[in-house]
Amino acid sequence: MASPDLVLALLADARLPVGAHTQSAGLEPAVVHGGLTVADVPAFLRGRIATVVAVDAGTAVVARHLSLAGADLTAVEEAWAARTPSQALRQASRTLGRGYLRLAQRLWPGEARLAALTRTPARPVVLGVVAALAGLDAARLVRLCGHEDVATVGAAVLKLLPGDPADTVAWTLAAHPAIEALVARTAALTSPQEIPATAAPLVELQSLQHARTPRRLFHA
Amino acid sequence: MTRVGVARRADGSGVALDLATTALLPRVLATTPRGARVALVGARALLLAGDAVHVDVTVGAGCTLDVVEVAGTVAYDGRGGPPSSWTVRARLGEDARLLWHGEPFVVAGGADVLRTLEVDLAPGARALLREVLVLGRSGERGGALLNRTRARREGRALLAEDLDLTDTGLRASPAVLGPARCLDTVTLLGARAEGEDVLQLEGPGSQVRALLTDAHTSPLGAVWARWRTGVLPLGDRAGTTCTTTEGSRLAGAHAGTGRA
Repeated sequence: MASPDLVLALLADARLPVGAHTQSAGLEPAVVHGGLTVADVPAFLRGRIATVVAVDAGTAVVARHLSLAGADLTAVEEAWAARTPSQALRQASRTLGRGYLRLAQRLWPGEARLAALTRTPARPVVLGVVAALAGLDAARLVRLCGHEDVATVGAAVLKLLPGDPADTVAWTLAAHPAIEALVARTAALTSPQEIPATAAPLVELQSLQHARTPRRLFHA
Repeated sequence: MTRVGVARRADGSGVALDLATTALLPRVLATTPRGARVALVGARALLLAGDAVHVDVTVGAGCTLDVVEVAGTVAYDGRGGPPSSWTVRARLGEDARLLWHGEPFVVAGGADVLRTLEVDLAPGARALLREVLVLGRSGERGGALLNRTRARREGRALLAEDLDLTDTGLRASPAVLGPARCLDTVTLLGARAEGEDVLQLEGPGSQVRALLTDAHTSPLGAVWARWRTGVLPLGDRAGTTCTTTEGSRLAGAHAGTGRA
């Protein structure tokens, strides 16, 4: 089995060819439709980690758990969809999920647990299966979800609200305690009903406003 | 527990109501052959620390229940006392209709309140709900609110949402509420409604939200009126007409438990 630390580094690498560069984790919608400024970014990150990231991290953890048990993941995808009321956010997640699935099928050819997924699974669902296949434990999986969200916002800030790139790294580091709190909250979950359902009204509303905005840099 | 139930009589002679009362009194405003309009009236000051309001709603197959609140509700400063709760559990039978137009639910400074809404829909059932959450009375930041919604259709998850507004710092995040102190929501379950910036659930359901600094400026009254026409079954005007004879007879039964 590969080192879990290396697997985590591999999956958290922004150069992973899954199409993550098309995403701003809600930053572009917040800048364009909510007037978000650089000063607001740390509070924006904290809000996301406590809400939408918790939903995704919990979904990934439960998908990993059920995948290891050889169980069907339909109920996990349903639970995630019921907790993701924005059609724009579901679509963005499934576009990414498709990218992860294609990569995973190259890494684990003929794997039944991948073949059992739909063609466009929600990103956290396929990420959970990948974690199960790669030997990534639940706590590292939550850290991956949390870090990725923060890093995605950070990369998008540099395009939308240009500033010192070192600032984005500082925000990432400052978000680590909130991500560790998310580990404590979600890493032990085992059933779809337990997945956090924490809502982020502004993220959800702005995702719709963004979807009908003609000129945009990022998909969501 | 406050109970509001409406079901068709077995002999086809209109609807039977099942009402029980606690701190919230159900008052029948009108009945029709297939439904009823019921007002919920606070019997005393609500919500104080430790109060647990529980409303159980049952809408029988093919029936319509229109619930109205006659006034807003204030969750008062608990002054260090135990949290309060407001729980609504609604079960809708096949092709049933539930309309519930909530009035502002104000979370005063110092309040600590858990609101729970659970809705179970049978095939063909539809629910239209309005929820107006206000954080703080004028000049207040407002207390702690956790607003939980769980909707299931034929036993499967349709909408699961925990609006965690317990941490005043977190809820002001530009990801959550930002500077808004009022969240107005119209939710349709069991069917879809179109419109700009409408959240379309994965299953049949739609939701529209307004984040406001003042509840009076909400544009969602018009959305409610429009979506309402899609929920009422053809020919059933429950809530807009008053059948006085049966209505007044049933209204007399509000204080007791039992079938009118």
